[in-house]
Amino acid sequence: RSAYCAASVASLTNILTPALFAGTAEWIARCQNWEGGIGGVPGMEAHGGYTFCGVAALVILKQEHLLNLRSLLHWVTRRQMRFEGGFQGRCNKLVDGCYSFWQAGLLTLLHRTLYATGDRALSMTHWMFDQLALQEYILLCCQCPAGGLLDKPGKSRDFYHTCYCLSGLAIAQHFGSGELHHEVILGVPENRLQATHPVYNIGPEKVARAVLHFLQQPVPSPEPTA
Amino acid sequence: DEIGLIPCPEARYNRSPIVLVENKLGVESWCVKFLLPYVHNKLLLYRQRKQWLNKDELIDITCTLLLLNPDFTTAWNVRKELILSGTLNPLKDLHLGKLALTKFPKSPETWIHRRWVLQQLIQENSLPSLVTKGNLGPAPVERIHRLVQEEMNVCSEAAGRYPSNYNAWSHRIWVLQHLGKLTVKVLLDELSSTKYWVSMHVSDHSGFHYRQFLLKSLIGRTVTDNNVLVQNQMVNEQNPSLQKEEESAGAEAACAEEQSVDLPRRIEEELELCTELIDTYPGHETLWCHSDETLNNSHHSPATSHMAQAMDVDGLNESSSKQSYTQETKRLKRARMQDSLGPEMEYRFIDKILSTCRDADQARFATAYRKWLVTFLGQ
Repeated sequence: RSAYCAASVASLTNILTPALFAGTAEWIARCQNWEGGIGGVPGMEAHGGYTFCGVAALVILKQEHLLNLRSLLHWVTRRQMRFEGGFQGRCNKLVDGCYSFWQAGLLTLLHRTLYATGDRALSMTHWMFDQLALQEYILLCCQCPAGGLLDKPGKSRDFYHTCYCLSGLAIAQHFGSGELHHEVILGVPENRLQATHPVYNIGPEKVARAVLHFLQQPVPSPEPTA
Repeated sequence: DEIGLIPCPEARYNRSPIVLVENKLGVESWCVKFLLPYVHNKLLLYRQRKQWLNKDELIDITCTLLLLNPDFTTAWNVRKELILSGTLNPLKDLHLGKLALTKFPKSPETWIHRRWVLQQLIQENSLPSLVTKGNLGPAPVERIHRLVQEEMNVCSEAAGRYPSNYNAWSHRIWVLQHLGKLTVKVLLDELSSTKYWVSMHVSDHSGFHYRQFLLKSLIGRTVTDNNVLVQNQMVNEQNPSLQKEEESAGAEAACAEEQSVDLPRRIEEELELCTELIDTYPGHETLWCHSDETLNNSHHSPATSHMAQAMDVDGLNESSSKQSYTQETKRLKRARMQDSLGPEMEYRFIDKILSTCRDADQARFATAYRKWLVTFLGQ
């Protein structure tokens, strides 16, 4: 989690250096366990939130190859619930709306990474999860009548779940980008959300603007000022 | 030994909202909206240097705050300062944390602070000036052993209070790694003492993951011990005069009192446990997952493998071999001669389940497991 925050901030603000992240990628790889997913620290149980953070950080650091991508894919695809359509965070746990982003988002990262390794068995129109089923779960089960979104029916709304249910919905509605962009919108067209950047989870155009902005700034020197 | 909130929206009588019955502390809910902001504010004013609080007041206020909201990091940090200045006994915080966990079994900040306190306590033990005679209590080793046992209890209780309590089980692993030093004894003790618990919590993935951690640590430990023994033998053959030195160096890893682990037997027992639970409680994915992985372990157990390469004790292969994991599996499988675990037994077990079960999930898991057996065992 901390590694992802650091990598996220450093890459957007153009202060990412090899020295800053020396050994980080290897450490994250050590957090992948026998289940295929990634835990909080080496030895811990595989967990949707940490897996997303680990993979996203490695994408930023361009070191995804340090992971066993096959066992990771195996683990995350099994996290979509066959009845609910939403995702669970860990094996044998209940569905939770926030994992709509952590797990589904993770699958979009894996898709890109695997494509980059030359895998041509990958779909060019759909992610490796049931996008419609996820949208159904979010829209039908995760909305609070008073506004906002939530974990599962019976829970109360909060900003965290509102954020990640919506982010998950955006992921489920949009495959790829640019020429490969393919939309799958469940229900009325008004349900359509704008696409989100799978690594930073802000608008892709915002990522571009941020990167551009900081590229134009002088890079701060590591020495303290007098 | 336990705290809780008593649902009581209005103060009916003019009396204290604190209720103490049989060593359980209850607080009537009506008072929280007065009490919490009051103590919270007092602490903030202190932190902002606008209002002084003496040590006793600080201890009281932080204690109250943390029993109402243990995820209030600042309150734990104030107590860290008190501990470092010698005003507060770190054991008190272990007790406070334990109490907080009875109501908030997941509380991340409580577990984090607990690890800080434990680190303080072990550092104390390693100070050369620490004298262990007379009234300073038992020797450090005994003290640490007691700390470990207490932590195992705290984790167990917290795990029982919230299903798949990630933070509790993670803490348990941390304690074994940092306090228990992953000795064979502690690993075997834990395997035996958690067996009943996991049988009563068959969907608790975290509990079963813990057993995987124990098994893999045992495998890693045995490999390391074997490596050290082999190294010792080699050195002894070359240099008999160095024998004594090497022996004492090797004693750490393979000392006389440490049991030799019958790994195949442990793994077999684990598989038996899985089989029994799968049979008794159909349809729990965790049990199948655990069963798969235990079988996997049997093929990596050095006792049944020619390969004496050291493995990480936390069960992860080195990153460089990540991609070759599948290749390794295939090589080990062909290299192994004796397989006391009988794939025929597994097939018989699976086929029996498939023919008798009525639970749809169980049938699905069994079918998947059978496919996996075919692929994995290649038979």
